[in-house]
Amino acid sequence: MSKNRLPFEGIRVCDFTWFAAGPIATKMLADHGAEVIKIESMVHFDRLRFVQPVADDKAGNLNCGGFFNNFNTSKLGMVLNLEKPKALEIATKLILASDIVVENFSPRVMEKFDLTYERFASIKPELIWVDQPMQGLTGPHKYYAGYGALITPLGGLAHLTGFPNRPPIGTGTNYTDYVINCGHLFIAIVAALRHRQKTGKGQHVVMSQFESAVSILETAILDYTVNGRAHVRNGNRIPHAAPHGVYGCKGEDRDCVYITAKGPKKGKKNDRWCVMAVFNDEQWRAFCQVLGDPPWTKDPKFETLADLKENEDELDRLIEEWTKGRSPEEIMHQMQQAGVPAGVVQDAEDILTRDPHIKDRGYYIYLDHAEAGRIANDGLPFRLSETPGQLSRPAPLMGEHTEYVCQEILGMTEEETNQCYVDEVFL
Amino acid sequence: MESELTALGDIRVLDLADEKGLYCTKLLADLGADVIKIEKPGGDPTRFIGPFYHDERDPQKSLYWFQFNTNKRSVTLNMETSDGREILKKLVKTADVMVETYPPGYLDDRGLGYTALKEMNPKLILASITPFGQTGPYCDYKATDMVAQAMGGIMYLAGFQEDPPNLLYGSQAYHMASVHATCGIQTALYVRELGGDGQHVDVSMQESVAIAQETAIQTYDLRREIRQRTGYSGLVPAHPGMGTFECKDGYVNIFMFTGQWLELLEWMESEGMAGDLKEKHHDVVDKLNDYLAIFVLVMDPEAYGRFLKEEYPPFDEHLRAFLKSHTKEELYNGAQQRRLQLSMVSTIEDLLGNPQLKALGYFVDVKHDELGDILSYPGAPYHLSETPWRIRKRAPLIGEHNEEIYEKELGLLNTELMDLKEKGVI
Repeated sequence: MSKNRLPFEGIRVCDFTWFAAGPIATKMLADHGAEVIKIESMVHFDRLRFVQPVADDKAGNLNCGGFFNNFNTSKLGMVLNLEKPKALEIATKLILASDIVVENFSPRVMEKFDLTYERFASIKPELIWVDQPMQGLTGPHKYYAGYGALITPLGGLAHLTGFPNRPPIGTGTNYTDYVINCGHLFIAIVAALRHRQKTGKGQHVVMSQFESAVSILETAILDYTVNGRAHVRNGNRIPHAAPHGVYGCKGEDRDCVYITAKGPKKGKKNDRWCVMAVFNDEQWRAFCQVLGDPPWTKDPKFETLADLKENEDELDRLIEEWTKGRSPEEIMHQMQQAGVPAGVVQDAEDILTRDPHIKDRGYYIYLDHAEAGRIANDGLPFRLSETPGQLSRPAPLMGEHTEYVCQEILGMTEEETNQCYVDEVFL
Repeated sequence: MESELTALGDIRVLDLADEKGLYCTKLLADLGADVIKIEKPGGDPTRFIGPFYHDERDPQKSLYWFQFNTNKRSVTLNMETSDGREILKKLVKTADVMVETYPPGYLDDRGLGYTALKEMNPKLILASITPFGQTGPYCDYKATDMVAQAMGGIMYLAGFQEDPPNLLYGSQAYHMASVHATCGIQTALYVRELGGDGQHVDVSMQESVAIAQETAIQTYDLRREIRQRTGYSGLVPAHPGMGTFECKDGYVNIFMFTGQWLELLEWMESEGMAGDLKEKHHDVVDKLNDYLAIFVLVMDPEAYGRFLKEEYPPFDEHLRAFLKSHTKEELYNGAQQRRLQLSMVSTIEDLLGNPQLKALGYFVDVKHDELGDILSYPGAPYHLSETPWRIRKRAPLIGEHNEEIYEKELGLLNTELMDLKEKGVI
């Protein structure tokens, strides 16, 4: 295989997914060469198209949503209004011309349109059909609705994240959507693709987002089923390390706009924190040295890990007195040079514009989008030395490739496609 | 009958990973790969991470080890000896994938860098999971799970604005890096199936978590606004009736993204808990029920602030009282029957009792003969009809497969094994 061939070149994906958990999986396929055809319609467009953020001068433009554009790079976009019989006919043709079909609706939707694995498996046994419903295709809650926002709390992670004296508000994001559920889905899809390459046979991949979310709770399940112990929120601490936490640092005398739950807030960039993690005696000694070996570090109550754990509240207070006068970057560099794991709690500005490491590795990829302008996109989360992926184009405009797909792939005539616009099949 | 085929039954993986990559090799092993865990003589350090079976602190009884090493085999090997490295080279020739988490340069210094491995086995896929990747100014920096969560931006978004940022529970940076490494390995395996050679997969924990910042990067890129922690709402800015709320016996999460207030109010009304909201404030009801109108409103901080202060409070008050009068289960089931977007904030106990997970057969029993016990594990993250996920056996004991692998498969003599054992190599 030549170096400039992308891994999934020649693989066509008929992509009915929306929001994040499905689209990021198909983004990874598209960024590695698959021809992913994203299907939407004005009746049923990907809702991320109008969710914030959007630039002020582009407000209301469905092609300019940053949330959507980031998760749909390298894909083709077509509109197909599935409420019309002709659209279902076209969808069927496209499915039969594809290697992989992916959807993440409620099972209700695909049943209604009769777009199911059962229907296509016998006609095209080499097809890989992928369903990614919230809770599965069977069971008493199969029609329960939700988004990543609900799967994170339902799956148990929200209950376990945060400070013990605070309610279980979760991760501040729809966490499981962005890596766990889309990543698991990608793993399953490529496993099926490799199996097909070896045997010629397709298969049915089903991922219940709920099950996938419960799979990443580390030992919370086993500790409960084996020892009857129910884990609770423990803030930023873990059982086998101390100090292990987040410490307030010196703010910057520089204007910025924070956006909070209450809306935008102008002020100085003063919400700055660092993290430090000490796992053994050696690191603890190095840590104390960076602090200049103040007398309190010699106190017997801070001698062993057990001592440190026992007096962790006081320990954290004393450490913060030191961190408060320093920038998190300064602390990170000093600690790292001494061999102590430490870092900056970076915000998006830090990461996108100031982190020299992210910049050096070129993680964010800027693409010129026809309507949104030059925009930053998440790049490749894994880098292959011989067949690296690439973001081959920005996210598609609504319906940008409808004609291309219908005429070049499905062999429809110009007249037919025009009629489809008239009949609101393409809407 | 369940298929006996597995997706990776023809693939051998050498597992030299620490916490950063254990979930990666578990994902491969549970899809059928023959994963050989290379442990230090005396046991891998991660065997000493708790909790432990019945709290008995014993490297053969770590639940952390159990969780992440299902289906794997284990050999002991001291990589710091030249004999140990020679054995590893023999294993490399039989392997398809090697997963490692050493600092960049460590393997090169021992003659086992990617270039050397490639010469031994051109088909080998080497996956390296490191804090910051193989290149760049921070590539020698150390990172634990928390450091990667911080440097990758996800911690900054978690928590209340007035608190320090929150660590996500359960080593999520390790999980995310492992998931992405597995994605890379799967892709590289597919490329090999097309006739390609092996390759090096570079995974940086920091980059692995970056996309989980949700909209933060784009919010800065498009608006020059720095997204902060969101507290109860889970959104910036908060939307009415969305986020985490207290109920009678815990918490629920509501995400009424699609204009369902009318439905919700009817439910509250049916229990006499909607007061006069619908009669007296129907213009507000109309506004709340139209999700496009809400989105437009939220875009205008001033108007939105006025709305929250003057129009929304009675709704908030009634909603909270209604939620407080019900259990999370009543709310979850009641809402879902009405197709309202609400879920409970599950505790671990809730998950074990969840009827859907039960019906799907999610939790799986795994036999541990040495313990005379059967333990209940978290199950399949996905279902493949032809090549299913499965836990075939529990995590290995220390060096459980030394004989099987060294003697039977590599053809070392028993006397050689004894000798290596004496020298502390295995």
